Amino acid sequence: MNNEQLDVIAARGDVRLFDRGVDYAALAAQHGSPLLVLDCNVLRQQFRALSAALPNVTLHYAIKALPEVTAIATLAEEGAHFDIASQGEIELLRAAGVGPRQTIHTHPIKRPRDIVAALRAGVTTFVADNANELEKLARFRDRVAVLLRVSFRSPDARCDLSKKFGCMPEDVHALLAHAETLGVQVKGLCFHVGSQSASPDAHVQAIAACTALIRGNNATRDNKLYVLDIGGGFPVDYDGTTQGIEAFCTPIREALAQMPDSVTVFAEPGRFLAAPAMTCITSVIGKADRGGKIWYFLDDGVYNSFSGQIFDHTVYPLTTLRQSDVPPTARHGGDKPRLSVLAGPTCDSIDIIAEDIMLPELAIGDLIVAPMMGAYTSASATEFNGFAKTTILALHAPLRASNVLRFG
Amino acid sequence: MKEFPETLYDAYRQSFDCDEVYFEYKTDHQHLVVFHNPKFGRVMALDGVIQTTEKDEFVYHEMLTHVPILAHGRVKRVLIIGGGDGGILREVARHKAVERIVMVEIDAAVVETCKKVLPGHSAGAFDDPRLDLVIDDGAAFIANTKEQFDVIIVDSTDPIGPGEVLFEQDFYRHCQAHLTAGGVLVTQNGVAFMQLDEARNTATRFGWVFKDWHFYASAVPTYIGGAMLMSFGTDDATLRRQSVDVISARFKAANLDTRYYTPEIHVGAFALPRYVLQAIGKEIGA
Repeated sequence: MNNEQLDVIAARGDVRLFDRGVDYAALAAQHGSPLLVLDCNVLRQQFRALSAALPNVTLHYAIKALPEVTAIATLAEEGAHFDIASQGEIELLRAAGVGPRQTIHTHPIKRPRDIVAALRAGVTTFVADNANELEKLARFRDRVAVLLRVSFRSPDARCDLSKKFGCMPEDVHALLAHAETLGVQVKGLCFHVGSQSASPDAHVQAIAACTALIRGNNATRDNKLYVLDIGGGFPVDYDGTTQGIEAFCTPIREALAQMPDSVTVFAEPGRFLAAPAMTCITSVIGKADRGGKIWYFLDDGVYNSFSGQIFDHTVYPLTTLRQSDVPPTARHGGDKPRLSVLAGPTCDSIDIIAEDIMLPELAIGDLIVAPMMGAYTSASATEFNGFAKTTILALHAPLRASNVLRFG
Repeated sequence: MKEFPETLYDAYRQSFDCDEVYFEYKTDHQHLVVFHNPKFGRVMALDGVIQTTEKDEFVYHEMLTHVPILAHGRVKRVLIIGGGDGGILREVARHKAVERIVMVEIDAAVVETCKKVLPGHSAGAFDDPRLDLVIDDGAAFIANTKEQFDVIIVDSTDPIGPGEVLFEQDFYRHCQAHLTAGGVLVTQNGVAFMQLDEARNTATRFGWVFKDWHFYASAVPTYIGGAMLMSFGTDDATLRRQSVDVISARFKAANLDTRYYTPEIHVGAFALPRYVLQAIGKEIGA
């Protein structure tokens, strides 16, 4: 936890109307606390920003980041394609009315019934990274095409996604030959350097390596590779230190320019689209002064929306919203920040959101507002201790969101 | 304008303009849509795959029905498995000599929807007094029924989905056990050029179950990629080797008004391309 950073952000908490005009205190009063507020306009802005930074790249929203029907429907309306990995995610796409031609199944390890379920939903593009998986797909070879996942380790990504999945680049040719023997069509390569990459270097190196692999294959084999999926990893700014998406993507665009024209490029953004779109509102439900620190007990914690602190290794910016701050003209500007702890509601001692941070003194009923909580938050929340997953409230949702599958 | 891109193959597809969507629903078993296309009329798709259209359905339904019934020549009892749209039922019902028709369809919603939105498929045949309509799993029904049939027609979806059990060895074995002497089982086996594995698998399984088996071909425009194969299994090896004259006489006696089926096509349909013969292990003639 970066205390200095928190102080700066916390100092902003004395404004009632903030963050794109959303009145969080009013929303909490109306809908209860804790509450996750999803602003679909932010999803749209993020999609457009990444589309502009990566022109001619087909963006497949990795719905694992925020598996929520309204978010999916919003991005579908923007023209997004989708990346799914399970039957549950297929059901979400159905509920959001997304046509299956826009969808790829990207889990490298599948049971035959997962393949059947995806095919029945109309998904025909699958990912494999080993011979066993190609053999599983052989039964469906008349219908499917495969993206071969290649591993390129990225030491500077927050979540290394090439440790568990992906074949070594030197194994690609043998796997392509094996697929050919099985009669399984491999149509391209994919990689995932990691999530929240600190720099585009890993992407650039992986693209260069894949370009060489694709050119080598296409020069010598009849079965051409015509898709490159560059995965995700596009970073968002949690702490004021992350470069903008345009700057991040510039070297990626340059690397992609070296690809043969016949290759279609996919990307699988999850965090980049979802993270800034959702804000968590949680209330102080208990307070204790212990050993010079004030412990605040909140109604949301690391078993719930803040689960990303554990699984996603992410620390979210926090701001306070005090009843005494409302209206802004009556705020208590003079009270001294105090050493504080923010703890979640469960009985487990691990359920602590922030320790030893400086906060203006809060009262029971005051709110903590955490922006940037769209990705890998609600997605990995549990119902431990009987606390329900926090409700998501969508603002600016598309009108067409429905539970009937649409096509076209 | 809406489009319906079929999601059968990754690298090749047909796509339909939809000027009207009549029905779209996820049933208990599958995802069902019926829409209108200017060229093919009303089109029904299950799980993203085209099942039948108003304009070209006659090819499939006539060939899957009249070939086994006229090859047999004395059919009284017919079992239809699947075929919820009623097209096979309509063609079977045209045979006045048939005394009993049992139809087993797993998905009641398909039957109810098709009666309303594809009324021409059944053309009233669901009201035929000879029909006993059973809503059940076809594989479970055939394993448990006490009845025998002269012809069993399996009008299923592709093997991926609820139709999967209708492509398995046990199912074929149960069908064979419920055929009268000289009875015939026919099934659909997909488009040969696009889905040759289906024919390979059925060839192996029919080979274990039937004394005589083969495939016959017919081209249904919306089953893209060339001729589709229908499998033909029986214990009477003479049935598929009868002359045009014999079939013609039965065809005339049945007084059928067909649009695709002729006795010449019936006999000729058993002639298969060499790549198919190789795939089903019958390279040197049948």
